[in-house]
Amino acid sequence: MNHRVGSPLRRIAAGACAAFIGGVVLSAAAMAAAGPAPAPPAAAPGFTFVKSVGGIDEYQLDSNGLTVLVAPDHAAPVVTFQVTYRVGSRNEVTGTTGATHILEHLMFKGSEGFNDPKGNSVKQYLERVGGQFNASTAVDRTNYFATIGRDNLDGYIAIEADRMRHLWLHEADRQSEMTVVRNEYERGKNDPDSVLMEEVTAAAYEALPYHHPTIGWKSDIEHVPIPKLHEFYDTFYWPNNATVTVVGDVDPAAALALVKKYYGAYTRSPQPIPTIYTEEPAQTGARRVVVKKPGELGTVVIAHKVPNGRDADQPAIEMLDAILSSGKNGRLYRALVDKGLALNAGSGTDLHRDLSLHSIYASLAPGASQDQVEEALLAEIQKIKTGGVTQAEIDRVKQQYIAADAYKRDGTAAVASEINEWIAVGDWTLYVTFPQKVQQVTPADVQRVANQYLNEDQSTTGWFVPVQPGAEKGS
Amino acid sequence: MIRFLLPLLLLVNVSAFANMASQGTRATSAGIDVVTYPTGVKDVVVIIGAFPAGDALGEGGNITIPTLTGMMLDRGTKALDKFAIADRLENVGAEISFIVGPQSLELHAKCLKKDLPLVMGLIASELRTPAFPAAEFAKAKQQFMGSLQESLQSTEGRAQEAFGRAVYPQGHPNRPHSIAEYLAAAKTASLDDVKAFHAKYYGPAHMTLVLVGDVSAADVQTQVGKAFDGWSGGHDYIRPAQPAVATAASEVTVPLSDKPSVSVVLGQATGLTYRDPDSLALRVGTAVLGHGFTGRLMGTVRDKEGLTYNIGAGVSQDAIADGAWDISASFAPALLDKGVASTRRELQKWWTDGITDTELADRKQGLVGGYFVGMSTTGGVAGAILVAIQRGYDLTWLDGYPEAIKALTRAQVNTAIKTHLDPAKMVLVEAGSVKPAGGPPPAAH
Repeated sequence: MNHRVGSPLRRIAAGACAAFIGGVVLSAAAMAAAGPAPAPPAAAPGFTFVKSVGGIDEYQLDSNGLTVLVAPDHAAPVVTFQVTYRVGSRNEVTGTTGATHILEHLMFKGSEGFNDPKGNSVKQYLERVGGQFNASTAVDRTNYFATIGRDNLDGYIAIEADRMRHLWLHEADRQSEMTVVRNEYERGKNDPDSVLMEEVTAAAYEALPYHHPTIGWKSDIEHVPIPKLHEFYDTFYWPNNATVTVVGDVDPAAALALVKKYYGAYTRSPQPIPTIYTEEPAQTGARRVVVKKPGELGTVVIAHKVPNGRDADQPAIEMLDAILSSGKNGRLYRALVDKGLALNAGSGTDLHRDLSLHSIYASLAPGASQDQVEEALLAEIQKIKTGGVTQAEIDRVKQQYIAADAYKRDGTAAVASEINEWIAVGDWTLYVTFPQKVQQVTPADVQRVANQYLNEDQSTTGWFVPVQPGAEKGS
Repeated sequence: MIRFLLPLLLLVNVSAFANMASQGTRATSAGIDVVTYPTGVKDVVVIIGAFPAGDALGEGGNITIPTLTGMMLDRGTKALDKFAIADRLENVGAEISFIVGPQSLELHAKCLKKDLPLVMGLIASELRTPAFPAAEFAKAKQQFMGSLQESLQSTEGRAQEAFGRAVYPQGHPNRPHSIAEYLAAAKTASLDDVKAFHAKYYGPAHMTLVLVGDVSAADVQTQVGKAFDGWSGGHDYIRPAQPAVATAASEVTVPLSDKPSVSVVLGQATGLTYRDPDSLALRVGTAVLGHGFTGRLMGTVRDKEGLTYNIGAGVSQDAIADGAWDISASFAPALLDKGVASTRRELQKWWTDGITDTELADRKQGLVGGYFVGMSTTGGVAGAILVAIQRGYDLTWLDGYPEAIKALTRAQVNTAIKTHLDPAKMVLVEAGSVKPAGGPPPAAH
C-alpha cells in the first residue's frame, strides 16, 4: 500500500506556514458532551460503555477487550472505518527493524476468507466499491483504514476482522514484497532531507527504539525471516491490542453490532501484550551529525527530546511551535525567510508514546551558509527563552485553533486519521482535550517550556551539506 | 456473493447523491463565472478559482514572469503590506494561496462563514491591486530560483519535465520549459515585466470562482459583486490549433548522482482533450491498466514480481488543451531494465488484447463509487466543479459523469486504446543514477 512510515504529527516536513496537527477547539455542542456520560448513548449488547468525550463514544467489546470509538457524522453518506494496532517500530529490535512495516504490506496479501483467488480480497473489494483506503506504519502504531459508502461498511469490516487473526503469511509473498519495500526505502534515500532527519533521530535517541527508522535498516528489510514476521503477528495482532474507529454516516448501535459480529469471535491474546521497559538515559552534551550527498542547497535541523505526547507541557510546546512557524507572522519567517537566509523554515514535534522529538529547521536559500542559518535559528529560540512571547501572538494562535475546529468537521477520513495519532500517543481523548489545553496556554508557559527543553546540551543538530557528484565519497 | 450484491449497494449510495447539479447555482457576478454549492458542513467555506495567467502566457517573453507575478500577489497590495494581509488572515485562521500552473493561476482559500467578506475582499485586492514592491520582488526571485535549484535533484520532477518536453512540440501550452531555462530567465526578469503581465492578463473575463460549504448563492453573489465591482480585462486560455501527435519512439536519460531509486515515465501525447468523444473511454481503459492496487501494472510489476513500490498509468493535462498519457514508476538501478521490460510487456498485452468485460464492470463501479466518496468533502466538491467547468461542462456534468461512465462499452474502451495510443511510438524517460551507456552496471542488490 502507499505506506506512510513517519508520524503525521511530525510538523517539520511542512513549510514556514505549517504549524498544526489539525488543532481543534471543542464546539459548544462538543463541550456539552464532554465528560463521562452516565449511560451508553447506543444500545450495545456485548459491549461495555466506557466514556463519551466530544461527541465520540468509547466502548469495549466484552469478549476480547477490543476498544471501539464511534463518531456519527451525517453530513454525507460515507463512513471511515479504521483499525489501529498499538504496535509500531518501537516494538522492533536489531534484526527485525522494519518488521512492523513489512507485516503491514503482507496484510494485503490475503487472509483465509478474503483473498485474490476468491476475488474478494481487501483491495479487490475496496476498489470495486470506490473506497479510498490505505494503511500506514509509524513508531507507535499501525493502522488500516477505508472511506466508503455507508452501505459497504459490513463488507469491509468482515475483511478487516478476518485479517486480524487469519492472515496468510507465506514466504513467497515475503520475498516479492521485500523488494517492493526496499524500493520504498530507496525512494526515501533519494531525498537528502529525509536522510538527514533519519540520522538526526538516530543520534538523538540512544536507547529507545525510536533510534531506528520505521522503515528499518536495509539489511533487516532484506533478511527478516518469515517466522519472525509470524511471531510479530501472533504477538501483537489481537483485539485487546487494537482500537476500531468508526466515523461517519452510521447508526451507532448498528455499527457496534457489525463490529461484534466480525470481531466478537476472537479471544483476547493468549499472552499479555509486551511492554517496553527501556528508558532513554540522560543526554550529557550537544550532538551533531553531518550528511554529505549530491545536492543543491543545504538544510539545518536542531532537535531536542521533549516529553511524551500526553504530557501536560505539550500544549505549551505546540503554542511555541505555532508562534515560530505559523504563516508570515511566524517568527521564523520574519527572521530567516524574509531576510533571505532560508527558502522555508519551521518547527514541530513528532509526538510519541515515550519521549517525543522536537525539531526546528530551515532549508537554506542560495548563498546562505549552515553556520548563518543555525545561528539565526538559535537566536530565535534564545529570544523566546529570554524575552518570552506576546499575548497577541498567543491570541492569534488560539483563533487559528477555533477555525481549525470547524475545518476538521469537513470529511470523515481526516477525523479518523487524527484520532489514530492520539491513539498512538496513548490517549485518544486528546483529540478533543488537547486543543482545549492549547486555549489555556499563557505566555509564561511558552517561555518556561522553551527554557526547560530547548537547551544546547540536550540538542542534536544536523546539517545537510550538498556536494558535487562524486565528491561525497571520502570527503 | 459480494460481486452479486455490489450493483445494488452502489445504487443506494448513488441515490444519496442524486441531483447534485440542482443544489448548485451558477451565475455571472462582476464579470466572473461564480458557482455556489451549499453542503452539510457548518461554518466552513472553501473557495477555489482559476483564470488564464499560467506559464503558457509567458511564451515570447521572459518565461518566469507568470510565476513571479503569481508569487507577488500576497506580498502587499496598494492598501496593505504583506504582514498586514497575513495579520488579517491569521487572526481568524483563514488561508489564501495562489498557484501558477501551465495554463491557469489557481487560487485556494478557506475560512469560517463569518469571515467570508474579509477573505473575499482580500482575494479581490490581491488580484486587482498588488503593490509590487521592489524589495519583495527581489525576495521572490531569490526564493523562486532557490526552489528551482532544489527541484534539480527530484528524480520524479526531472522525469516529468523531460517527458513533457519530449511529447509536446514547441509552442504547445503544455510543453514545460527546462529548469535550466527558468534559472537563466529568472536572472533577467524585471518588475516592469511583472507589472505589464498583470495589466495584460489579469481580469474577470475568463475567471471561474467556486464556493462550497456553508454558503448561500445570494450572499456569495453580493459579496463577489462588491469585491470585484469595476474590474475588467482578462485573456482566454490558449487552445492549440493542432493537437500534439506521437511520432516516433525515443529514449531520454536524465543522469542524477547518488539516487537509489530511478524515476521512469513511459508514454505519449494523445491529441485528445477531455471532451473528445473517446476521452472517457480511454480513461476507463487506463484505469484498468494502471489505477490503484488492482490495476494490471500494480498487480503484476509490483505484487507478483516485486520490482517497484509504485507504478501507475494516467491521462493528464487535457482539461483545456490536448493532453498526454503515461505510465510512471520507480525502480532500483539494478532492477531498472527488468522493471521497464515488465512494464512494456503489460502495456503491450493491454494494448493488443484490450480489457475484459469483468474488468470493465469492476472499474465502472469503482470509478462511480470513488466519485461519490470524493464528493463527501467540500474540497472534493469544489475541485470537481472547477475542473468540470474548465473542461467546458456546466453543473449538469456532476450528475452526468457517473451516467457517462456506466454507458461505456468494452468495444468503445478497446477502440479508444487502439486508436489513440501506440506503444511503438512512446517516449521512455529514466531519471536518476542510471548506468551510463557502455559503462559498468549499477551495483547489484
